[in-house]
Amino acid sequence: MTKKQATKRKVKDAKPTKEQESVSEQSEQEEDEDLLQAVKDPGEDSTDDEGIDQEYQSDSSEDLEFESDEEGNYLGVKENNAEESEEDGEEEEDEEGDSSEEESEDNAETAKSEEKPSGSKAVQEPKKLIGEITPRDPSKPEYADSDTSDEEDIRNTVGNIPMHWYDEYKHIGYDWDAKKIVKPPKGDQIDDFLRKIEDPNFWRTVKDPQTGQEVLLTDEDIALIKRVNSARIPNPEHNEYEPWIEWFTSEVERMPIKNVPDHKRSFLPSVSEKKKVSRMVHALKMGWMKTTEEVERAKQQKRGPKFYMLWETDTGREHMRRIHDPVSAPKRDLPGHAESYNPPPEYLFDEKETKQWLKLKDEPHKRKLHFMPQKFKSLREVPAYSRYLRERFLRCLDLYLCPRAKRVKLNIDAEYLIPKLPSPRDLQPFPTVESLVYRGHTDLVRSVSVEPKGEYIVSGSDDKTVKIWEIATGRCIRTIETDDVVRCVAWCPNAKLSIIAVATGSRLLLVNPKVGDKLIIKKTDDLLAEAPSQDVIENERIKTAVQWSTAEAAEQEKGVRVVITHFKPIRQVTWHGRGDYLATVMPEGANRSALIHQLSKRRSQIPFSKSKGLIQCVLFHPVKPCFFVATQHNIRIYDLVKQELIKKLLTNSKWISGMSIHPKGDNLLVSTYDKKMLWFDLDLSTKPYQTMRLHRNAVRSVAFHLRYPLFASGSDDQAVIVSHGMVYNDLLQNPLIVPLKKLQTHEKRDEFGVLDVNWHPVQPWIFSTGADCTIRLYT
Amino acid sequence: MEAENGEGQVQVHLKTKQEHYAVPDVPYAIEGSVATNELNIFLNALLQKQGSDGVDFDFLVFDEYLRGRLCDHLREKAISFEDAIEIEYVERFPAPEPQDCLLHDDWVSAVKARDKWILTGCYDNTINIWTNKGKHKLTIPGHTAPIKAVDWISLDEQYGRFVSSSQDQTAMLWQWNIDSNAVECISVCKGHERGVDSVSVSPDGQRFATGSWDTMLKLWSAELEDSAEGTSKRAKESGVRTPKLTLQGHRESISAVQWIDGQTLLTGSWDHTLKVWDLNLEGIKTEISTNKSIFDASYSSLNKLIVTASADKNLRLYDSRTNQGSVVRNTYLGHNAWVQAVMWSTTEEFLFVSGAYDNQNKLWDCRSPKAPLYDLLGHGEKVLDIDWSNPKYIVSGGSDNTVRVFKSKKANVEHMETK
Repeated sequence: MTKKQATKRKVKDAKPTKEQESVSEQSEQEEDEDLLQAVKDPGEDSTDDEGIDQEYQSDSSEDLEFESDEEGNYLGVKENNAEESEEDGEEEEDEEGDSSEEESEDNAETAKSEEKPSGSKAVQEPKKLIGEITPRDPSKPEYADSDTSDEEDIRNTVGNIPMHWYDEYKHIGYDWDAKKIVKPPKGDQIDDFLRKIEDPNFWRTVKDPQTGQEVLLTDEDIALIKRVNSARIPNPEHNEYEPWIEWFTSEVERMPIKNVPDHKRSFLPSVSEKKKVSRMVHALKMGWMKTTEEVERAKQQKRGPKFYMLWETDTGREHMRRIHDPVSAPKRDLPGHAESYNPPPEYLFDEKETKQWLKLKDEPHKRKLHFMPQKFKSLREVPAYSRYLRERFLRCLDLYLCPRAKRVKLNIDAEYLIPKLPSPRDLQPFPTVESLVYRGHTDLVRSVSVEPKGEYIVSGSDDKTVKIWEIATGRCIRTIETDDVVRCVAWCPNAKLSIIAVATGSRLLLVNPKVGDKLIIKKTDDLLAEAPSQDVIENERIKTAVQWSTAEAAEQEKGVRVVITHFKPIRQVTWHGRGDYLATVMPEGANRSALIHQLSKRRSQIPFSKSKGLIQCVLFHPVKPCFFVATQHNIRIYDLVKQELIKKLLTNSKWISGMSIHPKGDNLLVSTYDKKMLWFDLDLSTKPYQTMRLHRNAVRSVAFHLRYPLFASGSDDQAVIVSHGMVYNDLLQNPLIVPLKKLQTHEKRDEFGVLDVNWHPVQPWIFSTGADCTIRLYT
Repeated sequence: MEAENGEGQVQVHLKTKQEHYAVPDVPYAIEGSVATNELNIFLNALLQKQGSDGVDFDFLVFDEYLRGRLCDHLREKAISFEDAIEIEYVERFPAPEPQDCLLHDDWVSAVKARDKWILTGCYDNTINIWTNKGKHKLTIPGHTAPIKAVDWISLDEQYGRFVSSSQDQTAMLWQWNIDSNAVECISVCKGHERGVDSVSVSPDGQRFATGSWDTMLKLWSAELEDSAEGTSKRAKESGVRTPKLTLQGHRESISAVQWIDGQTLLTGSWDHTLKVWDLNLEGIKTEISTNKSIFDASYSSLNKLIVTASADKNLRLYDSRTNQGSVVRNTYLGHNAWVQAVMWSTTEEFLFVSGAYDNQNKLWDCRSPKAPLYDLLGHGEKVLDIDWSNPKYIVSGGSDNTVRVFKSKKANVEHMETK
């Protein structure tokens, strides 16, 4: 305590009123008790209460004083008493020091009120505010409107919070319109004092802690407060001493309901309990044992704020303390009835099952059960598990061989990996049904080719004939017999010429089919009739490989016009788009296996001096002067003008069977005997853009449609598969490939199915030739 | 729930356009599960025609033939069972009877009947004339390639004139003296660059049009004397005729040509389009794009609709008057192969016949898209052409080297009289 305070107290005490003295004398006896009370209920000592108390105190109303005297436990007085007693104690100190200072009691009071702000503020209200004070109408019952606390007239909306939070602000809270409730201006002490002198009602003016306004207490209020203070029932109308109604008899009945005399232990205190209690008391004293509250508190402290597991699940892998990332043993199924030592009889193997079980000795994984159910009379008779050691050993082996490197397992839905392809329905038209079968050949049909106008087709067969068919009716218009197996036929793509190139044995026949425009037929005949004069002396190497000759009369009759005799059997013949050049392939020709013939000059060239492998097929680029040569494994693209290799495509397959180029010339389709189809985007890379494994057997032939975004493949599994192959002009967009339809109507003959496929030049129709001697049209 | 099972009753009104079969217009409540047979019995009872010799009727519910149970039909059309349903009934078209089989030496690719004569074109480059009784009258060689189409120009007591077109790029005009059974080639029409696939003579018999594989549509005079100007004398003497008009527009082979009226032509092509040509303007009047190659198209002057044949087994019905894109009015599925030929009846508004590579001819009512009225069996091979220009006979030629004649039993003449 500072000296100043001490002196203040002394000043206060220096002029005690007589009444107070008497009170102090009285209260001195009760000091202990009161102190105890004060310490016991520190919570009660809220500022509000104190404020009120102080008012009473400062009012020094005699009535109140008397009241407190009578009851002795009136809080305000009690505190006052306590203070006084304290001050009594201090008096001695004061006596020691000087005590001459005498000031007015009021000064001291004001100083005190400053210390206790909220309580005493009411006192300091300036006068002008008093007008606002609205005393409650005493005639009206307090809860006439409503008696529920919910509908209490709350002017300040800040709620039940310590009001000192607003100490530093100019406002005290907010009203219902969310406007600030301004604190009434603080008057100084002199104002306060003047009010106290002037206002007769000053003592009964209290401050509403919510609004900061002053409220004038009515007589009823004061009476109520007095009654409460004196620990009487607040309602004066209440009669404490109502006449007693005896609901239950107090007389002892003569005949009790139960006549068993009370047991002795019911009136003797239990020794064991006593012991227990004394033990517990001892434990409490020694601090071994804690009371429930202590335990509770300790728990609360220990628990701290509560957190919940958010991400980890209970099914996650458990962690082992020492072993990082353990390999847990595979989870086994829970044992069933068959595993029981005493299984129900239906689980036991009968003879047949036993035999079956024993038979699968070599492949135990095929057994239905990995053990034979056995029956024992009791658990005692169950022998030790005979395979225990072995299984432990195997587990150890497993662990030993288990890869320690952690493999990241991707959890991807298989559906997700399938690219989003358009529905085939949206990609119409494409061939869907077999429409016509062209029958007439007697051996497998190797090759088919369509007239550029799309009215006729030509087919070459192993029965040594070439047949020309009318597409629309399936009528065989002409049959041309040759001397050898017809390996390949190709209709000249130039519509102004009427020529079919027929590769039969080692001869290449240029045949005029004599169908279509008569004028063109005649012109073609004229063109092929006379050989142009040879101005260039031919190389010996070429001469030994190829001889040109005009067909003889017998063959002329059949339509054959020119014969180009090669030195080895021809496997393939293909035209250049203009119809002047054609290329032939003789797989056995070593370094002369590919030849290019020029029709107009009747000249042949051998483009390659070295053999890079067994040439399978060749192809002219539709636009550029490029030449595609497929050996067994790779495809080389040569520039025919510069005579150099442009690119080598790596197919990564064992044996190429055929290829077809997209009419725009940027995409190449390759079929292989190892069941694959490869789509090369020539601008993209030398590796396949896409590998399609649609067929179940060797793919023999592929073909692009000239107009529609379609391609087809024929395979030894007798199927023709039609696919959508859209190539976009936008170089950044990859080709779209959608398999559309599997057409499987060819019959199987000696492992062969479909040998060749070819598109109609205009319609979305496809022709396929098969080993079953037929050509089929799908529309 | 009852209605779902077809057990509920339906209110029907029976109506007909044939007055002599009319019944009072009273609503009848009948079971939803009735089919044509029960309705027939019911109707015959109403008409008081007892026994088996009652007339057979077909029933039309909302312009479509009733083929199964009435309730199924209603459900399919999404018609409430609670509405009063109008059922129109017509006398059933009697089944055509196979009458004759005319044997040829090769595939028959063209047939045309008029009055009592049947004209056929053959793959052995000959034209044949038969009577409808099956008697062979004449074989006419002349073309150097298979005949693809024939058509009558005129026919009277003494002379018959007709035109034939062939893969040898020509069409030939013939005059046939019936009495002496002698035929004379009036002229050879040269001008096409590829096979001539179709020919059609104008209604007045003055001109004919040909469609060819060279994508051209050409008009020729069908007169005895070619009056066209500019034809050289030599050409006249040699009997070679040049086209009066060449119309270019199709991108592929023209497979069907038909006159709509004196100045309008319908063509169908492999390039998936139907075109209507106005000869006065010498240009295209209407174009209908389809998504299938058209092998044959037929226009009916009775109902102004076009029916087409294509490779996908379906027959399709188009209306040339709507020219906004491809408006398929109806699709007739019944064949199970490439349909090669189709033709409307010339007297019955709703009937047409079709021939297909499944060796069948079918007789259709255009109000019955799900099933044909009758299958006309007989061919052992592909049907290449079919004709119903003589209302009494349905004639078809096929690659089994035969022409089949089916007699259409309905007394059309009588029917027309009642009309």
